[in-house]
Amino acid sequence: MKKTTAPRLKPRRKFRFNNEDLWGYLFIAAAMIIFCVFTLYPVISAVYTSFFEYKPFGSEFVGLQNYAETLEFSKRNLFYKAAWNTLLYTVVVVPLSLLLAFAIAVMILPFKKKTQSVFKALYYLPGVASGVALSVVWLWIYDSSPDGLFNQLLTFLHIPTQNWLSSTKTSMLSLMIMALLSGHGVNIITYMAALHGIDNSYFEAAELDGATFFQKVRSIVWPLVKPTTLFLLVTGVIGSFQVFMNAYMMTGGGPDNSTTMIGLLIYNNAFVYAKYGLACAQAILLTIVIAFVSLFQFKLMGVDVEY
Amino acid sequence: MKKIIALLLCLAMVGCLFAACAPAETQPTGGSNTEPGTSTEPSTNTEPGANAEPDTIVIMAPPVTGNYIANLKVWAEDFHNLYPNLTVEIIETSWGDHNDKLSTMAQAGEAPDIAEVSSNAIGTYVDMGVVVDVSKYLSAERLADYDTNALNYMTLDNTVYGLPLYLTIQALGANKEMLEAAGADVAKIQQEGWTYEEFLEIIKNGTTENTFGFVFANSGVTASDMMYIFGAGAGLGNTFTEDMKYVFTSENMLSLLKAIEEMTQSGYMPNYAVEAGQRMVMCQTGNAMIFGKAMPLFESNFKTNNAALDANDGTAVEGSMKMDYVFLPSPTIDGAAEACYGTVDGLIAMRNNNTTDEHLANVMLFMDYICSGERIAACMNELYLDPVCQTGRDALVLEEGRDQANLDTASRCMSLVVAPPSGVTAEMTATAQSLMNEVIVPKFQLLLAGETTAEEVYQEIVEAGIDAFGEENCVTGRLG
Repeated sequence: MKKTTAPRLKPRRKFRFNNEDLWGYLFIAAAMIIFCVFTLYPVISAVYTSFFEYKPFGSEFVGLQNYAETLEFSKRNLFYKAAWNTLLYTVVVVPLSLLLAFAIAVMILPFKKKTQSVFKALYYLPGVASGVALSVVWLWIYDSSPDGLFNQLLTFLHIPTQNWLSSTKTSMLSLMIMALLSGHGVNIITYMAALHGIDNSYFEAAELDGATFFQKVRSIVWPLVKPTTLFLLVTGVIGSFQVFMNAYMMTGGGPDNSTTMIGLLIYNNAFVYAKYGLACAQAILLTIVIAFVSLFQFKLMGVDVEY
Repeated sequence: MKKIIALLLCLAMVGCLFAACAPAETQPTGGSNTEPGTSTEPSTNTEPGANAEPDTIVIMAPPVTGNYIANLKVWAEDFHNLYPNLTVEIIETSWGDHNDKLSTMAQAGEAPDIAEVSSNAIGTYVDMGVVVDVSKYLSAERLADYDTNALNYMTLDNTVYGLPLYLTIQALGANKEMLEAAGADVAKIQQEGWTYEEFLEIIKNGTTENTFGFVFANSGVTASDMMYIFGAGAGLGNTFTEDMKYVFTSENMLSLLKAIEEMTQSGYMPNYAVEAGQRMVMCQTGNAMIFGKAMPLFESNFKTNNAALDANDGTAVEGSMKMDYVFLPSPTIDGAAEACYGTVDGLIAMRNNNTTDEHLANVMLFMDYICSGERIAACMNELYLDPVCQTGRDALVLEEGRDQANLDTASRCMSLVVAPPSGVTAEMTATAQSLMNEVIVPKFQLLLAGETTAEEVYQEIVEAGIDAFGEENCVTGRLG
């Protein structure tokens, strides 16, 4: 009987630190140093601090107390309310924002390159303005008096004016509308880049088969931009879970904590109540949730995605 | 060559990042080699300022008045001339970022030596262990210069943690002519106060098709102002009673909430949230008769607007008309004694990584210098308030043209502000602050939006209060 031998693997090259390696490590050193100092160290420090009742001149080790306090089931524990608000905001804003961006990108695509650039610049413009400046404009738009822009529109349509940011019925909706109307410039540009990457021959073949516009979008465009959608979805969800500026500037978390997001809760604990340990524990829990959600998204949507 | 250039560029990028993170100036040390942040006990032979060791004092302050920072620079220079070995560095902040910046610096052990804080925030810094007991460094004679009432605001658990700059009062303001037309005896209200029922009757009379009898800036977190101002008139001026019981669970709170509910549903005030910047404009344009919150200082705004209308130079508020401003006390609710809502803002001395005993003595010297005498008198003149120290009152030369009736009302209201009991601890204030921000104000916002009732809000507050402090530490009936 002929002996079968396992194929011989190519022997691993003995690691030798040559001149090329040195240059490689030197080049990534800049990024690595910045990453370690400004990302890795703060994360490790936050994990460490979360086990302490932090004080500048002598912190006290409290073990898991900050985590227990955060997760304690109680009517007045704001963490769950903030988590629910953040989840609701994310579930509504992220998919709608992606759909909107995709629809706009598809509508812009048939135009000439110059016209496309004008549209892209216009949609990207809110991203250039500072969040604070945008919030001030939106505060005017949501002004609850009859002089507010949205209220004037409602009056014109013979609909009763609304207490936009001061009623629990409309406060979260107001933040969602604000996010949807002012924050999809990046998504549009990313989708545009993905759409440009689709080979024209697919559309020509579809036209020969007599496909309609929506059939082409459903059967050609949507599947081919799926990697982009996955990327935007994951980054969008991560960003949305960390939302802070909108609630901080527009409502302060009110009324009745209806717009208190996790980010705002962490900020308040750190900077209003000076409970750094508790804030760090909440930030770590948020990181874990985001990591799990991202993993879930990759598992669910990333099966047939090729990069 | 290309590789070397690329590498240099990378190094430059990293270098720039770290350079940007480095402190702008090195922190002064006070010339001592004491272990950082360990010794804050005063030595008996410390003669502040007289010691020739050069020292730098860092103060962080927002624009307390329009000219405060400019004045502070002059006072720092004057102080340096008095004590040539002592130099003062000023960190200017805006009101928007002052608290966040101070909290972050304190947490990092890099707090300025002196910082401006509201008395409500002292507990947070005491809890952090970064505030210094003032009484250990200032003589009893110097401390006696400050009014006890104002000093009590800076006191926690019987320890004085700062010096008061000013006691500010917040109540109501109005258009005098409209108020008189609505049947109000303005002089009597200013001199003797008024009841909630009288207030309601007057705002009813003052309400017309184009004018609200009353407007209050109650949008977002400013809702708490309405609660504090009317709360003072309901006997809820302080969070704790003299015997350390939590007051917001008392029946006085229910009276206050019912009054607020009645006001918001009356039609005499807007049924929508009003932004802080709108309330005074509504009064100046004749869209509202009485407005809140208001302070004595607003007399200056009205005078400036009147002058702009006379000059017709386009700087007046659009659509505004000439009017006299009257400062009004808060109405009393349900038979409570007349009171006024006030807070004290002051300066605290803070520990940082470089704090030494000698340095603290110098810090207190400068802190006392700017909180007293002609410095504070100048500041109070700008704020239309009475100084809270004797040397300030002695140095005060009143600005010409002040309305005497408003001046007297402001003085009377200041006398109605009662400091919190000095035995309140940092932990008690922290719990009360958290209840206020997370339960009372949010529920109060609901009440203002007409989405709940006074009784429901009261029940929530009572439950939360008892949960936090225990039933034995909460007032359950009517106060005193």
